[in-house]
Amino acid sequence: MSANPDNQKSWMGTRLPRKEDLRLITGQGKYVADIVLPGMLHAVFVRSDYAHARLVSVDVSAALEAPGVVAVITGEEMKTQCRSLRQPVLLPNLPAKYPTYYGLAVDKVKFHGDPVAMVIARDKYQAVDAAELVVVDYEELPVVLDPEAALAPDSPRVHEEEADNLMFEMTFTGGATDEDRAKNAAEVERIFQSADVVVKERFRVHRTGTTPMETRGVLADWSASDGLTVYNTTQRPHIDRLAFADILDIPAEKVRVIAPRDMGGGFGLKAPFYRESVVVAYACRKLGRPVRWIESRYESLMNIGQERGQINTLEVAASKEGKLLALRNRGIADVGTGQIGVYWGFVMPFLGAVEMPNAYTWEAGDTDLRVIFTNKACLTPSRAFGHFPTRFAVERAVDIVARKIGMEPSDLRRRNLVPRLPYTSVTGEYYDSGDFLKVWDNLMSQVDLPGFRREQAEARAQGKYLGIGFGCGVELSGVASELMVPMENQPGYGAATVRIDPRGKVFIMGGDAPGGQGHETTISQIVAATFGISPEDTIITTGDTGTTPFGSGTIGARMGSYFASAVRKACDELREKMTHVLAHDLGIRATMEEFAFTDGEIVYQRDPSKRKGFREIAERIVMFPINLPEGEVGGLETTAFFEAAKPMICFNADACVVEVELATGQFKVLRWLTSEDVGNVINPMIVDGQMHGAIVQGLSNAIFEEFIYNDQGQQMTADFEHYKLATAADMPDIKVTYASTPCPHTPLGTRGIGEGRPSAVPGALCNALVDALVPFGIEITELPIRPSVLWQKLKAAGAV
Amino acid sequence: MELKDQIRINAPRQRVFEALNNPAILKQAIPGCESLEATSPTDFTAVVAARIGPLAARFTGSVSLADIEPPVRYTLSGEGKGGPAGFAKVKAAVELEDDGQATLLNYSVKADIGGKLGQLGGSIVDRTAQKLAGEFFQQFDALITLPPGSEADAAATDETSSDGPARAARAGIGPLWWGIAAAMALLLAWLALK
Repeated sequence: MSANPDNQKSWMGTRLPRKEDLRLITGQGKYVADIVLPGMLHAVFVRSDYAHARLVSVDVSAALEAPGVVAVITGEEMKTQCRSLRQPVLLPNLPAKYPTYYGLAVDKVKFHGDPVAMVIARDKYQAVDAAELVVVDYEELPVVLDPEAALAPDSPRVHEEEADNLMFEMTFTGGATDEDRAKNAAEVERIFQSADVVVKERFRVHRTGTTPMETRGVLADWSASDGLTVYNTTQRPHIDRLAFADILDIPAEKVRVIAPRDMGGGFGLKAPFYRESVVVAYACRKLGRPVRWIESRYESLMNIGQERGQINTLEVAASKEGKLLALRNRGIADVGTGQIGVYWGFVMPFLGAVEMPNAYTWEAGDTDLRVIFTNKACLTPSRAFGHFPTRFAVERAVDIVARKIGMEPSDLRRRNLVPRLPYTSVTGEYYDSGDFLKVWDNLMSQVDLPGFRREQAEARAQGKYLGIGFGCGVELSGVASELMVPMENQPGYGAATVRIDPRGKVFIMGGDAPGGQGHETTISQIVAATFGISPEDTIITTGDTGTTPFGSGTIGARMGSYFASAVRKACDELREKMTHVLAHDLGIRATMEEFAFTDGEIVYQRDPSKRKGFREIAERIVMFPINLPEGEVGGLETTAFFEAAKPMICFNADACVVEVELATGQFKVLRWLTSEDVGNVINPMIVDGQMHGAIVQGLSNAIFEEFIYNDQGQQMTADFEHYKLATAADMPDIKVTYASTPCPHTPLGTRGIGEGRPSAVPGALCNALVDALVPFGIEITELPIRPSVLWQKLKAAGAV
Repeated sequence: MELKDQIRINAPRQRVFEALNNPAILKQAIPGCESLEATSPTDFTAVVAARIGPLAARFTGSVSLADIEPPVRYTLSGEGKGGPAGFAKVKAAVELEDDGQATLLNYSVKADIGGKLGQLGGSIVDRTAQKLAGEFFQQFDALITLPPGSEADAAATDETSSDGPARAARAGIGPLWWGIAAAMALLLAWLALK
């Protein structure tokens, strides 16, 4: 192999430009809408105009007569021809009311946007026109919109087969039995009774989430001999495959799901198994022709990306010295219909409740959660899965406590950070490793707090209101089987197949399906560093169930934790084999550790004259498997699985500075500073990008975005005029810094990052706004926080 | 959405009352009205075609009157369905009073608009509906102040009712909002019908 100067580098920790970017920015990306199959038909859904109504009739006769129309599928057909989506493979191992539902609405529509029928035509325009000819006779029913009112015994029910609208209820503290929990609750009450300081607030977070550039899309293809192939915008193709098989009653070996290599963002909302996919796949089998559905932006905003939506009534007890003693929380989540495979809308608030204690050493806790059905779209996972609202509540409450006892909120935080890991939180979440104080001190070393307080006082004297806010977050680094099996009925391990071809190129196959995070680049760096080759010599395939090992999906920061570790493990197994054969060929006794993989060669370090090209040894083992060491066979391919013994985490701390204009309530985030423990970094540019994106998303969710349902359950924010996203001009300068501790539980010391990261943002932002307005004693307990809201508060406080 | 206004009509109350009972006049005054039929003394159905931006819709409406106190006041509740365009539900009250030789018509309407129609945008819907409700009454006023005897001719020959979008365009209102206004005008017409 020719000497490539690049090979001299250590690829780990290098700011390597993303391999995928060239094709993406030159229009060479291939998304699901770019895939065209011969004879392909186009599907369009007819969706409910009502939030809650009985389906009196669905008349498809006129639509069937329309030009180009091939078929119209209704809920009745789905119910009789397919199984429901309430299949074991899609059900968590948690006690909840799981509604039975089908690909299309049957008997009732339960939210504005509920799919009622699917029209299939030769082109999309014909399908759209014909969809308008489907006549649906609705008989309106009273709507269930307020989750608290929905618990009243006389409330209408979203699912009439259920006794009430309470979908899920759980206490997260105090043990497994009622007796233990009652004892714990009494103990917490005793702490509250004797505490110096008690804070109680009702924290409300609106419905908001993520809006990927690429909406959902499904292309299904049927062959009598090979079965079903589905190209699906999904983060978890292997789970989808099993779900398609079970719902459509097709043997699983006859189902192949391919998540296209290029996906325009997942953010969690492409992780559920969706009912639309079932209808498209069913239609394709029925018609024997490929059928494609590409979701419109309107449909996307009506149906998916809606998360958060919680009310947390949180009480905190503390000592006057600033020691946090106990937290008590009563959580309510407005789940919508609860009709989304894998998550059922309640798994997010469930995990949000688990993650509520954050990085603080609470002595005790009493927390519970109720998840309630309403006539709204089902909550779908969104980055910062479930804990955007609980983290907002805790980070705000901590500040309120600090102010009450006259302490700097940053000092109170440091005082209560978990000092040593591992640690198990009051809700039972395991924090494996890291150094929270190191991360915190790194943050504070870059914040001149006394200097800022002087600047703040001087600015105030001139009528200018500056504020500083802090926040922090413990986030999951991948989701261990220990949590994944109960939570999602799926394994947590990472899996990777690594194959070295006779020309010395390395193929990596992973069953997860990334959505633009740069997996090709990151994985290529790991493989290049492990084998001493160039990242250009690697080829990564993901998301195709026909060619990749089983993976639970690109979810929960599994890349840097589980997938990366599985890749490394597989590479090490092949290194072992290559050095074993090489030592045999060289006639020496040596272990793998005595060889260096560098610059395209494998070098015996005790005698560097004994060396061989990486390609040569690959070719020798794959193509010429004679005279091998005893017990060895030819071929260079292996699949490795990685699972840490316990769950793993990453950690971050944030500081931000804001300026508020009193007369209007307008505010601007001036600066955002972070300190991160992300373990060993593979590509700092990609990690920086994850953090930038997370902070932007957190701010956009907290300030701009909001899904609004009116008093009839009409969803009023189904376009980007009404569902407002932040723009670049709204965003502060973001400075990301690192104070990492290598993870001792992964082979490369890496941590999975980025998924939970937005959750620290709303607390820090609102803490800064409150800090700026301390002279007026304003509190913020609800999101979104907008200039108009702030102005109302200022007005009420007599500031304007 | 809520609308409330007082319209002065240049005719005595009795004549206004009679005109409000004349489906032919109302059919003309409602832009895009294809049919207007009484199914009982207090129940009516109507069909109005409208083009609303990208949505071509035919609104099928039904309305019931109550608390009738001729010729002073009544209330109504009704519903119009526009298929894929969405729907409107309305509750309204109307009251007539003398104003010299003219009549003051007071109305208040509360409407819930749903589906795609309702998602187009709130404040602009309110403003435009109000403006075009005024246009409906202007047309109504013009029709009933014609010399006696020409009413039937007007009803039989006037084609402007099918020319709503063009008129709206002339008035400087985009076709998008014209459609909503047409639906509102229809609802107001039901309100006036007895």
